[in-house]
Amino acid sequence: MTIKDKYAIAGLGYTPQGRIADRTALSFHAEAISNAINDAGLKARDIDGLICYRHFPSSGGEPDVTPYLVAQQVGLTPGVLSQEANCARSQLLNALGWLEMGLCKYVVISYAHNPLSGGDFFARAVDNLTKAVFGQFGATAGYAMAARRAMHTFHTGPETWKHIAVDQRKWANLNPIAQMQNRTLTFEDYYKSKWVVEPLRVPDNCLITDGGRACIVTTVERARDLKHPVVAVMGIGQHNTAYEIEQSLNMAGPTGARQSGEKAFDMAGITLSDIDACEIYDCFTYTVEITLQDYGFFKPGEGEDWFKGGTIGPGGRMPVNTSGGLLSEAYFMGLTQLTEAVMQLRGRCGKRQLGPETGTGTPEIILCSDNGAILQTHATVILRRL
Amino acid sequence: MTYLKPLPQPNADDKFFWDGCREHRLLFQKCRNCGLVRWPPSIICPGCQSRDTRVIEATGNGKIYTYAVYHQAYHPGFEHEVPYTTAVIELGEGPHFLSNIVGCEPDKIKCDMPVKVIWEDITPEFSLPKFRPIL
Repeated sequence: MTIKDKYAIAGLGYTPQGRIADRTALSFHAEAISNAINDAGLKARDIDGLICYRHFPSSGGEPDVTPYLVAQQVGLTPGVLSQEANCARSQLLNALGWLEMGLCKYVVISYAHNPLSGGDFFARAVDNLTKAVFGQFGATAGYAMAARRAMHTFHTGPETWKHIAVDQRKWANLNPIAQMQNRTLTFEDYYKSKWVVEPLRVPDNCLITDGGRACIVTTVERARDLKHPVVAVMGIGQHNTAYEIEQSLNMAGPTGARQSGEKAFDMAGITLSDIDACEIYDCFTYTVEITLQDYGFFKPGEGEDWFKGGTIGPGGRMPVNTSGGLLSEAYFMGLTQLTEAVMQLRGRCGKRQLGPETGTGTPEIILCSDNGAILQTHATVILRRL
Repeated sequence: MTYLKPLPQPNADDKFFWDGCREHRLLFQKCRNCGLVRWPPSIICPGCQSRDTRVIEATGNGKIYTYAVYHQAYHPGFEHEVPYTTAVIELGEGPHFLSNIVGCEPDKIKCDMPVKVIWEDITPEFSLPKFRPIL
């Protein structure tokens, strides 16, 4: 029994993104979901599954965003609903499970937040008092520790990561809705940038975004009746190393990406050579390196040679994060990657479209990753245009 | 002088640890069944799930497993200390313990450097274990 090519991403919802004043987080969920429903050519009453990506503490006068409130705002009464709270990346896997059980026909997954305009930068939240005693706060520090251990274990560091930052920015420069669309980045700019938590500089860090993003998951059969070319899930995998980064022995790999990738490729029945492009979760540049390394694109220490010369940028032999990613487009957790992959496979990417426009072949198969907490949870999904 | 950084807030799992710190003793749970020395505190052993535990005192010797140097303050109590270093110390007894490196410029710090615990008495109730490179 396999679910290969049985399910499809059939609707996408985008909202304004960046620094967007006077909008609640709840309103971005509502807008993204309603746009996804319209994109699919469905009605709200068709949606019988709701997954909200990530709970955040509310700020200002806004209510706590629960899936009940989201459902109420859009006008849904879902057969199944959930919201996760700690960055575990099982959203798509859960949606497929509900569809496979026959409990749902159309599941919408949404992410929304308004940290720039609405409230506090969430990385400043004290979520662990024992760590705060010693001055350990936020995601950057956790990834900085992992990156430093990697530098101690094999050849890597800013000289590798600069390629990721610079080449992904080139994709963003081709994307009219990317937050960094009109800001270029050279190697010199990268090295001159300020440290956030060493060894990670500002361009090694993902963006902070007000906005929302959503997608609708259904069967391939139902997707064939809807508006767009069918983009199917060929394979999906997950693995959670789980432990806090301070207790991790996997900082320099193999992270959850290794097993998650194996499961996804196994289900898809393909190898790396079948992959046309990658949308890789890029909370930090180091995350992109260790994910691609754990997927097997190169060995530990070979990253710099693999990335250099524009490998992942426009015109490169393995495009990565073609919208600009979390680093340069917008931060919607794994939905940034997933929705861009679908857009590319649908042929809707304008100047950044993979194909003759950017000097590559027309893509058929795209590898996506999702990653959460501090290298604690990892999901892999392989999408293809049927 | 008022202490401006976050203070420990002992809970039922880790109270023994902070009580030990007040006496300048670095205490950890050691499983009586499999011998694993664990951190953070837990009522069961993550190695074998046994609840049979005793508390041992660590020597305070270890080496730097990894570290991070903060160039921005995320909390007002740390503003005057930037740049400061947090580190994961691999203690001789096994646990990976998060703390600070003191008495060493950040650019001189390296993974695998041997370190030793020193104690910072921050309030009458709390002392913090921090680590200094052994030269």
